This record gives sequence, structure tokens and C-alpha cells, in this order.
Amino acid sequence: MIDLGGLQLEHPVLNASGTLDARSAHTVLGDATLGCAAHVTKTITPEPRAGNAAPRIAEVPGGMINSIGLPGPGIERFCSEVLPETAALVDVPIIVSVGGFSHDDYVRLVDRLADLDAVAGLELNLSCPNVKSGCISIGTDPRETEAVTALARGRTRLPLLVKLSPSVADVAELARAAEAGGADALTLTNTARGMVLNRFTGRPLLGAGTGGVSGPALRPQALAAVAAARAAVAIALVGLGGIETADDARDFLAVGATAVAVGTAIFRDPRAPARVRDGLASA
Amino acid sequence: MTATSVSATVRATVAVGSYTVIELDGDIDVGSPGTFAMVRDPDGAAFLPRPVGMFRRPDGTPAFLVDPAFSVGALVRARSLDVLSPLGTGFDLRGARAETTLLVGGGIGATVFFGVAAALGGSVRCVAGFREAEQAAMLELIAPATHREAALAPRLVTELVDLTGIELVLASGPRAMVRAVAAMAAERGTPCQVALEAPMACGFGACYGCAVELDGVWKRLCIEGPVVAAERIA
Repeated sequence: MIDLGGLQLEHPVLNASGTLDARSAHTVLGDATLGCAAHVTKTITPEPRAGNAAPRIAEVPGGMINSIGLPGPGIERFCSEVLPETAALVDVPIIVSVGGFSHDDYVRLVDRLADLDAVAGLELNLSCPNVKSGCISIGTDPRETEAVTALARGRTRLPLLVKLSPSVADVAELARAAEAGGADALTLTNTARGMVLNRFTGRPLLGAGTGGVSGPALRPQALAAVAAARAAVAIALVGLGGIETADDARDFLAVGATAVAVGTAIFRDPRAPARVRDGLASA
Repeated sequence: MTATSVSATVRATVAVGSYTVIELDGDIDVGSPGTFAMVRDPDGAAFLPRPVGMFRRPDGTPAFLVDPAFSVGALVRARSLDVLSPLGTGFDLRGARAETTLLVGGGIGATVFFGVAAALGGSVRCVAGFREAEQAAMLELIAPATHREAALAPRLVTELVDLTGIELVLASGPRAMVRAVAAMAAERGTPCQVALEAPMACGFGACYGCAVELDGVWKRLCIEGPVVAAERIA
């Protein structure tokens, strides 16, 4: 068993937020969790969001770039529809990822979720690069990171994870801030800010202009971020960024991650989380 | 019906005009006409799988068509492919009759009609637009009883659309073409289904990358489509 900030997990492999919809995976693939030891939901916001204009994704060398923009039904419909439906399909702990645009947003999200039986843990997304305000502007400022984490901590005893960005000058400083705010674990990292152009027009290819780079292209940055955080804090760490194989996962565990998450690799091959899990078990 | 991941050996590649048919060995469910598969070369440089329309060759061999001029064309060099299939929702052919159904295609988008023509049997009419004559050769792959006609650029396929006696229109191709055909069908009150395309990373609802505007809001094409009622894109 793995102790992830108070969450007891069967093995150390999770899915990254935003890379697995338990309901559509169940319908299309007949498997809601793809073998993950906990299910991390797509980030939910206070109000419904349409998401960013298309195109939202593009391939880049060694990975992809996305500007999805946190589309979702908003917290109320999430609690009345998405969460119960997800809980009925998922037989592992559910970690709900939440994203807001102000302190009040995070308070509202945590208050709404904190007492629900289906919720085993919360992940504060302080690092989405694809929304115009809040979120990453909180997650790039140590004082804001500590303040929002402390606000959430004061309102729930659930295991509290804080997801940070690689696109910062000093990830250790942000890790310390989240730990000081009362986080039980850190998730490192979100996607890295990037841009691709349409070479016919010379204009940004993605509808939102910029996006977040994920996949193996992100792995060295993510690994460095986990190593830096490990040197800075004592709390548990979830390492992610381009993990495709058990060997990739071992790199993250070797620099101090407590668990790992598989994200973009799920898009390439939905068997990826189970393959990483089995590869780690047969070490 | 759930999709399954299969590793399939490439049996053969066959040039058809300027396109290439990639034939696969293995037990692959190609799905109903209009559904799709995500295909990736595990040894290839492309990071993401590509959405393709699977069909069966006359001998039953599962296959799909690629345009070697685009990045998907790299799949022509693959020795084996990872295939996740079948995905999405295809054409609703309940009550459709070959004689009163019109298939309108644009470029490689007309691939979806191979399965439609086979399913309807008889003499369905298929019109398709292409940039060049070499591409139009792909219409040879459609069921032999089909009445087929190609429009070569700068001529538009809509010039070949005659809705007299037509009770169902199926359209597949570039968005502008599909919209134009949908508008013609709507004008006459003829039911119309359209197969749409969008960049896709996963094909099973996880990435939210294939968002298209349906009913005025962004929806995941892989879950809602890729075939949708034409009114939904109006």
C-alpha cells in the first residue's frame, strides 16, 4: 500500500487530471479507471465553462500541446450528476480536481465537496495554463499559493493535494508555500506553457493562442521539478510529466516521488496506466 | 459495444491513385459505417494516434485509406499498427434505401461511404469532389453497383447534388462542403447526416481536444459523432 498524504492506495499509479473521463472510458472502452489506484477527475470550476475555441490540440515533437480551457458543467451539476455517476463506475478513491479564479472560488469548491462521501481527496489545480486569470496566477505566486492552500486546509480534513506548474522560476519556493499552507501532497507538474504557429498563416495554431505542452517532451522539466520539491518539502509528491513506461515512473520515484500519474500517454494508448503499474510490480 | 486495442500487422499497402490503402491482418472490428478507429505506428515518429475510417476490402480484410501527402501518410511505412476500434457513432441507416439515398463526399472524406454503399446494397448514388483526378480514383473502391460521379476542382461537388427523389443525404468531407450540402438538404427539408472531422488525441472522450460546435455549444466529436444530424451544425 502507498500512503499518499493520508490516502491509502493499492499501488502508486494514478491518472493525471484532465486525461481520463471515467464515464466515457466506461462507455467506450468498458473500463472506467484503466487500472489506476485512484481516479483523479477533470478540473471542476465553480460555474459551467464552454472551454476554449478550436483547434485545441496539436502534435509537437515528443508530445502534444493543448488549450482545452477547463470545459465543464460547473460544481453544482458536477455534484448532482458527474460525481455520482463516476462513483458508481469507479472502485478506487476519487480525487476531485478543483480550479478557480479567486480565493472565494476555491472556498466555494472545497465547501461544496468536503462532506461528500464519494470524495476521497481534493487536488487544488493552481497551474492550468489555459485560463486567462486565477488558477496559474495563484500558482506562480508563493504567497497566493500558501494563502489559497491554507484557506482550503481550514475547511476540510480530506487529503489535500496541490498541483503546481513547471513554468516557474523556483518550483521549490512554491512547494514550500503549499506545504506551509497545509497541503498533504504536491502534484508535479502540470503542462508547460508553449506555443505553435500555423506556418501557412504565421498565426498561433491553437484557438487560445498558447497552450500547455505535455508528453515525453515535458519529462525532464517535470523530473527536475520533483527533485527540487523533494529537496524542499517533506510531504508526499505525485510525479508526472511524460510518463509512458515503468522505467519512466521509476525515474520519478527515484528522485523522491511517492506516486506517479500517467496523463498524455493515456491518449496514445489507454493501456498505459496498467502497463506502468504492472511494470513497477514486476521490478 | 466497446472498443478494443489491437496490434495488427500491415498485410499490404496498395496505391489507389494518389491515396494508399493500408490493409491489416488480425481480428479488427471495423464498426458500422461512419465510425472510426485511432491508429498509431508504435515505431513511428508521430506521437499521437490518428483517426481513420476503417472499411472492409471485398475479401473481408480490414483496411483504411491515407493521403501520403499529409503526416498520416507516414503510416504507410509501418510494419504493424496499434488500432483502437470501433469508436464513435456512425450513420443511422435505419429505413434508408439505396435508390433514395445520396452520398456526397469531399476528398478522402468519401472513405466513409465504402461501408455505407456495402450496407445499403443496390445502386446508391455517390458524388464526390476532389482537387485532382488522381484522388478521384478512390471511388473505384466503392461498391460496384454505385452510381459515382466526381467533380474536379475548381468545380464544386455541390454542382452534382440533385435532390430530386432523394429521401436521405449523407455528407462527409471538409467543413465548408458539409455545411453547403447540409444547407441544400435543409432547403428542401431532406433529412441529412454529416460526418465531421476534428483534430483528436484520444478518440474516447478523455482529451476534449476534438471539440466542435454542435447545437451552439462545444461538444466532443468523438463522443457525439463523428456523424451527427445536419441540423446540429447549423
